This record gives sequence, C-alpha cells and structure tokens, in this order.
Amino acid sequence: MTTTDTGARRRASDVRPVITDLIDPATVEAIAAEAWVALIGEDEVLVPLPGELPVDIVSSWVDVVGPWTGSVVLTTARSTAEELSRALLRDTAPAVLDDEDVADAFGEIANVVGGNVKAALPGPSALSLPQVGNAPLVRNPADVCRLDLLWRGEPVAISVQGALPPLPGSTPTRENEVS
Amino acid sequence: MRALVIDDSRAMRRIVTGILAGFGYEVRDAEHGRAALDVLGEGWLPDLATIDWNMPVMDGLQFVSAVRANPAWRSMTMMMVTSESEHTQIVRALAAGAHEYVIKPFTADAIRDKLALLGLLPQEVSL
Repeated sequence: MTTTDTGARRRASDVRPVITDLIDPATVEAIAAEAWVALIGEDEVLVPLPGELPVDIVSSWVDVVGPWTGSVVLTTARSTAEELSRALLRDTAPAVLDDEDVADAFGEIANVVGGNVKAALPGPSALSLPQVGNAPLVRNPADVCRLDLLWRGEPVAISVQGALPPLPGSTPTRENEVS
Repeated sequence: MRALVIDDSRAMRRIVTGILAGFGYEVRDAEHGRAALDVLGEGWLPDLATIDWNMPVMDGLQFVSAVRANPAWRSMTMMMVTSESEHTQIVRALAAGAHEYVIKPFTADAIRDKLALLGLLPQEVSL
C-alpha cells in the first residue's frame, strides 16, 4: 500500500528544539551565579526570587546562532545596570560613569553569561557581539527559559529566548491555549 | 614585562589591565585585533597578549593567525581570554597558535595561575 505525503503531517526535519528541551533553569542560574561571583564580587549573590521590574529598564543581550537560535537577555532597571557596571569595574571605575560605560559593562556581563549558556547548548554555534537597548521580542513563548532574580534586592531577569516563531502545527503555547 | 590587552569591551580591558599591572606588567591595550597589530607594528612587542575572541574589525582568531604569520612576533605568548567556551572553539584557537585559553568569567587567581604555568609571572609575585 502506498501513501501520499500531503505535507500535512510534520516531518522529522521540521522538529526544532525549544530551549526548554536543551537547558534547564537551574543550569542557567548556575552559569549566572558563577558569572556574578567572578565579575561582580565574591559576596555577590543572585537570589532566585521574583521582583517587579520598574518602567525604566534596560536590556543587554547576545545572540546565539546554531542548532538553536535565539538570544540570552539580561534585563534590569537602568539604575541597577549602572550599579552592576560600577561593581564590575571596581576600583577601575571612573568617578562618573557615562551611558557608554554602562552599556559596555552591562553588555559584557551578557556576553559572559551568554557565552557560557551557548557552551551548554548543542553546537557548533556562533555568538554575536553584545547589544544594549530594548530586548528582542519573544517570538515563541514556548521557546523561553526565564529566570527572575534579585541582586542587592533589585530585580534582574535573565531570558534565554528563541528567535524564531513557532512552527505551524506545533504544540499550542500557553498564550493560545483554550481553557 | 609587557602585556597587550585586546578586548572590545572597555570594562574588560580595564579589569585585565588592572590585574596584569598588579603583577608588575607594563600594559597597553587595543579594542580589536587590527588595532593590536598597529601596536605591534610600532615596534612595541609584548611578552604576553591577552586576546578576546569576538571583536569587531578583526577578531581574536584572525589576530592569532596574523601574529603567527610574522616570525618577528614569534616570541610573544598569546592567551585567549574569552567567553567562547565551546570545546571546538578552544581547539581552534590552540591550533591557530594560541598558547593558553582562559574562559570568562575568570578571577585574578586564574590569570595568575596561567601566567605561572607559562613562566610569565614575575618572580616577586607569590603563588
């Protein structure tokens, strides 16, 4: 008996992993914690408790392009990004940090966290230069691994998020589930 | 001893420069591989170069290859200091001619240990 492939069914090659298939929040949290201790200071801890981000936020991120393609995004209040930058620079920090100093330092933190997240994912993958500004949009809510943390009591969100929209016919996401 | 710190991040250049200066190095820095080659072209030859991987204009791997292509710069030790931590990337860098590889994030102690292994830690710096 022969069957005709109408294309209606998904092919094996259509299967694209989402980030939650590849890495768990505990691994991302461990990577971030190590980065914080090494970059920000030995006593600097990220507490896994959600906090409400203010309106005035800034994000830094790197893109990962490979078997999984997306971004590793850090988001926090602008004031917290400045505080993080000062902590990173320690005694080499200039008396006045300008926007470029903060963008550079906050971007480097994303670069370090993102580089180590990339290493935990199937490769080979390429890593972009860090960017700072408004975070890339979440294209597929099912392809997100998000951590909400506190640093010195201030909220810091880390999102490992896919860059691609859901495949047609893929499992419904929470956003379009019908209860 | 002299060191050339190559990183597109100003913050990271400040941090690495601070660590190496603390070990007694005379340090210059460059924001990408092309700028670093310009420093070498001036005749300022360091004992050590710390090299980020992902940089605009000329990345760290291209810089390592360019240095290896010039016999006059052969005495310089090249240490990658980068967030590129995939095994294949480490192998690529070492195959291109880098001597050591430090993954960000790092501590001053990690840099000191690598320099000791390379015989590039000034004697007055204790382990």
